[in-house]
Amino acid sequence: MKVLLVDDEQKFALMLAKRLELRGVEVDVFFSAEKALEAAKQGLRWDVAILDVKMPGVGGIELKRRLGALDPGMKFVFLTGHGSNTDYTEGMQEGADYLPKPLKIDALIEILNRMTKE
Amino acid sequence: MTKALNRMLGTLWPRFHRSHDEHMNPYYTFQDYRQIWGMGIFILITTTLLPLIIMTLIYYQLVEKSIDTESLLRTERLASNTRRAVSYFLEERLAALTFTVNEMGYDKLNDSEALAEVLRNLKLGFGGLTDLSVIADTGTQVAYAGPFNLEGKDYSNQNWFIECQRNDAYVSEIFSGYRDVPHIVIAVKALRPDGRSFILRATLETERLIQTLSSFKPGEHADIFLINRDGVLQTPSRHYEGTSHRLSIPVPPRAERTRSLMMADTAGKPIVVGYAYIETQIAPTPFILMVVKQKAGMMKVWLDLRHQVNWIFIGSAVLIAVVITLTSTAMVNMIFDADREKAKTMLMAEQNSQLASIGQLAAGVAHEINNPLALINETAGYIKDLFMIKEQYKEDPELVEHIDSIIEAVDRCGTITRQLLGFARHFDVETQPIDLKHMVADVLNFHKKEAEYRNITLHVDIPETIPLIETDRGKLQQIILNLVNNAFQAIDNGCFLDIRADMAAPDQVRIAIHDSGCGISEEHLKKVFEPFFTTKKEGQGTGLGLSITYGLVQKLHGDITVQSKTGEGTTFVVTLPVRIKKESQI
Repeated sequence: MKVLLVDDEQKFALMLAKRLELRGVEVDVFFSAEKALEAAKQGLRWDVAILDVKMPGVGGIELKRRLGALDPGMKFVFLTGHGSNTDYTEGMQEGADYLPKPLKIDALIEILNRMTKE
Repeated sequence: MTKALNRMLGTLWPRFHRSHDEHMNPYYTFQDYRQIWGMGIFILITTTLLPLIIMTLIYYQLVEKSIDTESLLRTERLASNTRRAVSYFLEERLAALTFTVNEMGYDKLNDSEALAEVLRNLKLGFGGLTDLSVIADTGTQVAYAGPFNLEGKDYSNQNWFIECQRNDAYVSEIFSGYRDVPHIVIAVKALRPDGRSFILRATLETERLIQTLSSFKPGEHADIFLINRDGVLQTPSRHYEGTSHRLSIPVPPRAERTRSLMMADTAGKPIVVGYAYIETQIAPTPFILMVVKQKAGMMKVWLDLRHQVNWIFIGSAVLIAVVITLTSTAMVNMIFDADREKAKTMLMAEQNSQLASIGQLAAGVAHEINNPLALINETAGYIKDLFMIKEQYKEDPELVEHIDSIIEAVDRCGTITRQLLGFARHFDVETQPIDLKHMVADVLNFHKKEAEYRNITLHVDIPETIPLIETDRGKLQQIILNLVNNAFQAIDNGCFLDIRADMAAPDQVRIAIHDSGCGISEEHLKKVFEPFFTTKKEGQGTGLGLSITYGLVQKLHGDITVQSKTGEGTTFVVTLPVRIKKESQI
């Protein structure tokens, strides 16, 4: 399973990546949507993208739209530190899963497993 | 009893005189209700009573003037009537003498018997005759009828004789003569057949004349009498007799006709004088008829009426004053009550808004804390993973590094929590020196993340020369937070927010918060500080933010203004005193 992780909180992203790797998930980490898009344009592909909703510049929702355009088969999980309703419903409408920060690693693993099985 | 009295005082005495909650003072539209009440009553009473007073005074003057004219006219008429009666009295007797001398002739009258006969007849006809005498042109009395035989007496040197010779007739003053009985002498001159002249002289009792005069006397305050041209009283006067039978008031000037005038008596009281210089058709007389009335007597009816009018006036004035006071009190009370309700609502709204901003703050803080917490979570989770998955964790430098990052993340949480606490603590009223730059930085800290997300440029220019401001920390913080919040809501992503400060005056700091947002239209600009005014959709804005900000600025004795152009942006300018005066209420 190959996973994309995009979050502007660098330490958080790195730490989450390490934990996922410990669980046998292959993770590519980017600290901004622009960098991730650049990589995707260069041909990198992932099964699932884990995206932070609020980021400076291009946000998570917009990034999902663009990545979805490049690879329609890609699945999405949103992370948000902002427990507001708008983020939640926006995430739901886009047909993606939503996880609040701080997140439970088991829940994330379960979602990733489910998504890759589908 | 006391209850009823209290209730009555309650309707008269305005409620706003009692002390009220002082913390509500800044929310009242009008501060000095006592002044509004006083001015209202003063203006109403003045505008109501002034015309009434002026009208009454004019009325009094008109009435007094017409009374003066009327009393002059009436006195003149009375004097005229009396003059006619007196003239007629004298003329009648002079005419009788003239008739007698012409009818009888000198020869018959020279006979004492015949003269006595004439006297008897005249007494029958007129009465009041004492004697008759015939005097030859030499001045010698040639015949006499009457009680005193003065035959042969020589009158040639006497004044009356000379005057009668000159004027053909004569009327004397009233004098007492030998017998101490007041009488008048009248005389007429006639011609004898031989061309020489003679005089028929009669002595008249004055009783009839005095009776005639007193028959005209109209009342208590009037006095009718005769004087001679030197002012010596000829008939008794009740009020105006001075020393040695002289008139106590000045003798009026000579006039052809009856006249009247106003003057003052010896006591200075105003009197109306009607007078006439009495002339008969046959002979001039030394008499001046005087009709003197006291003005006060004639004014009495009017004065009584005026007394009543005065009472009616005082009564209506008191009534008007009471009604005006009651109405003013009731109306100002109503305004005051409405204003107090408004102030209460404003106060409550401000408290609500404080709560709301604390809630907003808490949400922001929760969000801010979330990221470090997520990091703690992951780091701690990773350490746990290490424990569970890897065996060789001892002496591992990576482990120490991760523990450090946990500590760092906790520190971040601590900073945010401290800021939150520091923010929430200062809602009570107290002044303390405040560094504006720090405060603005504190406030903007809560918006930093949002600014980053939305690509909003924050620019702060607060020079080091701005002194510490002695003011209320909580309120100033909320003012700045409200205005920054407002700006954030107004601007689109990619715009900028500019906060500047400078000195408006040596003791005043000016803070300008400028955004490049959508701006406020001119018609809305007038209302932005009004409570419950909002352009946001229903349920999204209370419309209280700026009005509360306005109230807070006022509380800090400052001033807030707004300038805006649709599409170009908005600038709020807050001017604050460097030091709030200690004795005044915040």
